[in-house]
Amino acid sequence: CKKSYLDKPITGALEPQFLETEDGANQLLIGAYAVLDGQQGGDAAVGGGSAWEASPDNWIYGGVVGGDASKGSIAGDQQQIEPMMKYNPDASNSFFDSKWRADYEGVSRTNNTLKILAKVTKITDAARTNIVAQARFLRGHYYFDLKKMFNNVPYLDETTTNINQPNTTDIWPKIEADFKYAYDNLPATQDNVGRANKWAAGAYLAKTYLYEHKYAEAKVVFDAVIAQGVTASGQKYALNARFNDNFRAATNNSAESVFAVQAAANTDPNGPSNANNGDMLNFPYGNSSPFSCCGFYQPSIDLVNHFRTNAVTGLPYLDDYNSHAIKTDMGVAADESFTPDAGTIDPRLDWTAGRRGVPYLDWGVHPGADWIRDQQYGGPYSPIKNVYGQAEQETNGDNTSWAPGSGINYNLIRYADVLLMAAEAEAQLGNLDKAESYVNMVRNRAANTTGWVHTYKNNDKPTAGFTNTPAANYKISPYPGGAFASKDFALKAIYFERKIELAMEGHRFFDLVRWGIADTELNAYIAYQSTLTNDVRGGKFVKGKSEYYPIPLAEIDLSASGGTPQLKQNPGYH
Amino acid sequence: TVYSQNVYNFNVNNISVKQMFKQIEKNSKYTVFYRLDQVNVDKKINVELQDASIETVMKNVLQSQKLTFQVVDDIIIIKPVDGKSIATVTVTGVVRDVNGGSLPGVSVKLAGSSLGTVTDINGKYSLTLPDGTGTLEFSFLGFTAQRIAVNGQTIINVTLVEESKSLNEVVVVGYATQKKKDLTGAVAVVNVKDLNKQASSSVNSQLQGQASGVTVTGSGQPGEEPQVHIRGFNTFGDNTPLYVVDGMETYDVSTLNPNDVETFQVLKDASSASIYGARAANGVIIITTKKGKGKVSIQYDAYYGSQVPKGGNVWNTITPQQMADLKMTAQKNSGDDDFKDPLYNPTGVGSAYTVPDYITPAGAKESSPAVNPSKYYVNPNFTSPDDFGNFYRITRANKAGTDWYHAIFKNAPMTSHNISLSGSSDQASYLFSLNYFNQRGTLIDTYLKRYTLRSNTNFNINKHIRVGENLAYSITKTPQVNNATTHGQVSTNDPDGVIAHALREQPIIPVYDIMGNYAGSYGTGLGDANNPVAIQNRTKTSGSTSYRILGNVFAEADIIKGLTLRSSFGGDIVNSNDHSFTYPTYENVENSTINSYSENSNTDYSYNWTNTLTYQKTFGKHNINVVIGTEAVEDHTSNLGGSIQGFYTFDPDYVNLSTGTTNKNTFSSRSSNSLFSEFARLDYIYNEKYLFNATIRRDGSSKFPTNQRYGYFPAFSAGWRISQESFLKDVKWISDLKLRGGWGIMGNQKNMGSKDAHITFNSTIGQSYYPLDGTANLIPGFYQDQIANPNALWEKDINSNFGFDATLFDGKIAVTADYYRKDIKDLLYGATQLGTAGNGAVPAQNVGKMKTDGLDISVTGNIKASSDLNFSATGTITTYSNKISRVSDDANYFPGTATSRFDSPITRNQVGHSLGEFYGYQVAGFWNTQGEIDAANAGTQKITNDPNAVYQSDVKVGRFRYKDVNGDGIITEADRTFLGNPNPKVTAGLNLGVNYKNFDASIFLYGSFGNKLWNSVKYWRDFYSSFGTAKSYTALNDSWTPTHQNAKAPIQELDASTSSGATPNSYFVENGTYVRMRNAQIGYTFNINSLKKAGIQKLRIYVSATNLFTLTGYSGVDPELNGTTTDFGIDEGSYASPRTFLFGVNFSL
Repeated sequence: CKKSYLDKPITGALEPQFLETEDGANQLLIGAYAVLDGQQGGDAAVGGGSAWEASPDNWIYGGVVGGDASKGSIAGDQQQIEPMMKYNPDASNSFFDSKWRADYEGVSRTNNTLKILAKVTKITDAARTNIVAQARFLRGHYYFDLKKMFNNVPYLDETTTNINQPNTTDIWPKIEADFKYAYDNLPATQDNVGRANKWAAGAYLAKTYLYEHKYAEAKVVFDAVIAQGVTASGQKYALNARFNDNFRAATNNSAESVFAVQAAANTDPNGPSNANNGDMLNFPYGNSSPFSCCGFYQPSIDLVNHFRTNAVTGLPYLDDYNSHAIKTDMGVAADESFTPDAGTIDPRLDWTAGRRGVPYLDWGVHPGADWIRDQQYGGPYSPIKNVYGQAEQETNGDNTSWAPGSGINYNLIRYADVLLMAAEAEAQLGNLDKAESYVNMVRNRAANTTGWVHTYKNNDKPTAGFTNTPAANYKISPYPGGAFASKDFALKAIYFERKIELAMEGHRFFDLVRWGIADTELNAYIAYQSTLTNDVRGGKFVKGKSEYYPIPLAEIDLSASGGTPQLKQNPGYH
Repeated sequence: TVYSQNVYNFNVNNISVKQMFKQIEKNSKYTVFYRLDQVNVDKKINVELQDASIETVMKNVLQSQKLTFQVVDDIIIIKPVDGKSIATVTVTGVVRDVNGGSLPGVSVKLAGSSLGTVTDINGKYSLTLPDGTGTLEFSFLGFTAQRIAVNGQTIINVTLVEESKSLNEVVVVGYATQKKKDLTGAVAVVNVKDLNKQASSSVNSQLQGQASGVTVTGSGQPGEEPQVHIRGFNTFGDNTPLYVVDGMETYDVSTLNPNDVETFQVLKDASSASIYGARAANGVIIITTKKGKGKVSIQYDAYYGSQVPKGGNVWNTITPQQMADLKMTAQKNSGDDDFKDPLYNPTGVGSAYTVPDYITPAGAKESSPAVNPSKYYVNPNFTSPDDFGNFYRITRANKAGTDWYHAIFKNAPMTSHNISLSGSSDQASYLFSLNYFNQRGTLIDTYLKRYTLRSNTNFNINKHIRVGENLAYSITKTPQVNNATTHGQVSTNDPDGVIAHALREQPIIPVYDIMGNYAGSYGTGLGDANNPVAIQNRTKTSGSTSYRILGNVFAEADIIKGLTLRSSFGGDIVNSNDHSFTYPTYENVENSTINSYSENSNTDYSYNWTNTLTYQKTFGKHNINVVIGTEAVEDHTSNLGGSIQGFYTFDPDYVNLSTGTTNKNTFSSRSSNSLFSEFARLDYIYNEKYLFNATIRRDGSSKFPTNQRYGYFPAFSAGWRISQESFLKDVKWISDLKLRGGWGIMGNQKNMGSKDAHITFNSTIGQSYYPLDGTANLIPGFYQDQIANPNALWEKDINSNFGFDATLFDGKIAVTADYYRKDIKDLLYGATQLGTAGNGAVPAQNVGKMKTDGLDISVTGNIKASSDLNFSATGTITTYSNKISRVSDDANYFPGTATSRFDSPITRNQVGHSLGEFYGYQVAGFWNTQGEIDAANAGTQKITNDPNAVYQSDVKVGRFRYKDVNGDGIITEADRTFLGNPNPKVTAGLNLGVNYKNFDASIFLYGSFGNKLWNSVKYWRDFYSSFGTAKSYTALNDSWTPTHQNAKAPIQELDASTSSGATPNSYFVENGTYVRMRNAQIGYTFNINSLKKAGIQKLRIYVSATNLFTLTGYSGVDPELNGTTTDFGIDEGSYASPRTFLFGVNFSL
């Protein structure tokens, strides 16, 4: 009697043995997918900290720090980002630990799936393999994210019992092994469109090879992906006809979507936990802005200048784009008149950066200063790729919290990215024509006029539709045959194309580091941008240090079991 | 031997004279009075008499001695044969208490004789004495006995002083009672009368400064329970003590009616508290409530008063024009020379900033067509984004500046009415009381309304069986949503709380726009704060009501003499409901367009069933008291709630969980814990001199893994009443002196979660649902929500205590002092684990160690200057010093959780330091010239051999220069250091009282010394770059400029930086020492005789003032800042205790 008096049930939770069924293992796998968005609900990142600290699109760590964008808002708001964009962050900066913990939660959930699946007996081999391969795909992804952020990270798999592991062994082989297994074992199609399939695994495997500079291995897999790849629902991989369809909820999971973090708005009453919670700060801010917050992630003036095209050739200015700067409304009040730039511009710009005088989705003509929190600090532009449209705001805008969410999937890998990565591998291997053809596929899609931004039929009623008149003087052409005459030129053109095609998608910083040109590119960015805005003034990229973020100090301190920390700090950090 | 008609029969042989006198007294009405030096009382005699008169009897007794006698009334006075004739004296008088009330039943005795009487119903006595010499002794239970020499007086009136501090006072301790003189543990007995002078809903807030060893920190918020710490810190988690109210254990006494409290004891050390075992480590507070006594009486106590917030420019805010000037200064300092400003200079012509007529439309002039009221459109209750998109706001600038502090802090009334009916007879005693308490907060729309009903009854079934109950029912209403930590209160002292918004909102913004809707930061250059008046007003339709029954029923039976069995069954049932409606906002720059309603209900119940067997016996010089017992405790909590959005209208009568349309959300949870315990205590006293106590408890808890559920908590203590020794008996000024010492183990299980021993998985939308098929149909998944610790043990608080109790100068002065040391080991703490562990909740583990020691002193004095004038004073001194000696297996610190808007936590809890210490960079001055910066960088480059190295990142002329704490020539992480300790070195309370005739007056001073405070308010107000908030005169007049280098604040500029206000540094640390007059009271008691005809026993009126003054060097609103265990003394905009003026009455029939 006494014993039972002290035995109290566990309420509202399950002990692991209840999950040792096929269904249980599948639900654990879904739990592992669920942290792709880096969120735990209530506007918190899954590892603690605020939602945006672990955004899967890496808008801070890959975008702002890569020079795609200014942090935005005002000085002092999310102050932790400021030292990052000046390349002097402390290891104690709490954002790093939030990011670290979010990725390791992903690792932990995949390992739990594998551990518990191993105890399931009633399951077919095919079903088991599918779960294992998906779990390993996801684990590969989480480690890939850690690797590109922190480089030296500890590795744990489903057999590891001691969580305090050193970070002195390169984990590329482990990441490769997970993606290889997934590539070899996953089916081409899956029951749910959001699941990883063979070809997503192939693309990620090839991307891993690229990061390892294993171009020949990469090419083989890219070739297969490009030739045979289909989405999980069986659609042949292809570029969307309209560039912007990559950034609309209505066209989520298109043929271009190789692997996406799935988003759905208004599914969690407590906030947009499944709706790009990590981007909640990244909407125009101010007086007449229809969004509740917060004016972050403003495309940099330097980025916008990349979109200038040569009026004759329709090609970008690879070296001196800043000498052909696009006219800004810096210092122009909202009630003063302003005429936007009349020169030739890559049409992708106006799906990438909101700028004064140009239609901003179906929200109206961008009013300039009224939607900018502090021009002097973060420049005159607004983000677009993560922003939902007015007509769909009821379904794909999520206003359950103080700042918006959206139902737009974030494509971790889209087909244009695959083509540009394949181009890079081909160029590295000397196959310059092949490389050029891939780049031109991407440029030709951008040149499709139906995919351009057009003027409104009625500026006062932007939801009434668009005319057929382009909103700006757009001009874009493919590279003429044989333009990729040298490997150097080819790479330069590919790098540039990646910058503009994938701008504001969180890849830039990691690309620059992979290419080994981060110091020159980013110091040049700071030099230019500092003449126009004051957010990155005084910043300096330090070669040999700034390529990787510091191992979070909290983790190093916690790894000091027995006195000496197991985790070693990255070079250059204290 | 028969006594009838004044004739007596005796037949006794070989009896002493003394025994014979006793026989006579026993068998007659007479008292025999004699002097020992005259009578040989040991002489043996034989008395054999039949039907003898008293005279015959006495002659017979005295026959062989040269003595005679005289019979006067009922006294037989023996005198020598040659003695003079006796002239007896009759002394009369009245005995009163200090308030002038007559005292019936007081024993009046002639010292050294058996002559005596008792006072009648009017306090009168009359006693016939053999002569006018000798000394009268007046004694009455609960009062200090008085001796008065007769000296021929025939009228002797006496005032007896209540013996509240006297040694024989009975103190309720763990499962027993003891006389104060026999205590061996550290027990602070609180004077309930002093406690009740503080007008408050809460006994906890009344407790501040009244008991040594107890630290209480509160705020001005009605109903917010203060932080109560007994002897500093005992754990990294919750330090709330255990309360035992009439035997029922609870952690929450917020609903207790202070008028019902009869005794209040704080058990501080192991020897007094560890009989409560696993819940003793935070200390135990034992409260008993009033019982009926004596004849039927009705008592009414009430007060009404007004609370007054601090006046003046509380936050030191500059005017709107000065805001404009400061903006220009900051621009110039940042190299921005564009002085076209939408608000202050919209045309861009000229370079002067002036305050515009309108802030919306920005910078508009009175003459502008844009401010034509016909354009105005705002629908405060909008439900669609389209409607919201059509708003046209027109808001005038408040050129004089809005005083946001006084926009939300107003005078507020408070009142309490308490009526009680009580009485007792041989068979029963009863007390019923009803209290109505209503306090509006000085912060608008905050309040506490409470009704408390109490019924305490006792029935003596027969001589040996007693049953009874003590029961309180309360209804408490507070604003907004209920939660355990804030007791249903709005969030204040929070960087995003309403007060923080008030201190951030710019003065140029008026409260209302031109049409009387809210104005706010909507617009340009107006910061990002929300209108605090709107925040508060919108809570009007929200609220929380809590219903609670707390009490017990008991039965007691005397089995044999000295052996008592008691069984008590107590329960605590709390039912609370809250509902809140969130309005959409439109007046701010960041608005929320959703409307939502949420409702939440909690049902918690717990019971404890306690059975004890008590045996008490005195034999010879030995006195023992043994208690053995068992206790079963079970807690259940459950919670149910939901929320919904999308209402057609916001009419509070319409809005409920059914009438919303979108985003339906429901949730519920329940959990239970249990504890089963056995305990024993032994108190042994030898010769009233040597005292010994031992207790042991064995606790079993459902929270711990099955194989280690049981913990043992022993304690021992001893006392030596050294004043009873012969060598001190003659020292007249020492009335009593006792040395005490004790050792024991107290346990703690509070920080152990119900699931901590288990790995568990869970399924929630935010955590583990995923839109896997690309639609809004989420697919549920599972995730690990709990990491297991299968090895958890009890937290052990090993406690030693040494002290003494001294009563000096006939009880005029009493001193109690204790030194203690607590070594806490196996401290249960959910230490953060490596990220590789995953994000399941971290279980409590026995990883921490901590040491706390300190000194508790209390001194009480009572001086009676004359029969009309009486002084009393009580002082308490509390010190504690807390050192963490281990945090976890991995790291030697854990950060606090408060970060305000800084880039890292404000506090760090590190080995070798106390909990809650502030941590950051030490400011060592300013960078006054670029030359200084260059020189420092050059030095660093030389040391590091790195041409890119800088001494300190983010530096500019006019910013802070940080101290190179580790002396390595470069400012890094490692140079952050401890900046101050928020724990006071000493807290002290002083009660001073005086009675003069019918007047009584008292003051109570409280002080906290040597603590540091963190003033986050400065972050918003002294740094121009902080989110465009209202700024201070410090920013305007005392910030760094090239010509004002000896400044307080750094240069005002547009950028935030880690070298100014963005990172925690010593700029924010201030001295927190203060002394406050907590209470002053003057009362008048009306002369009883003139009211007696109306049957009024007592009528007293008083006026009282609270927080009349505070002496402090702290620059913020109030130096008293509560918080959590690891984050306190942090000022984010606090809800200061107001000044309160009360009028009160005490009346009894």
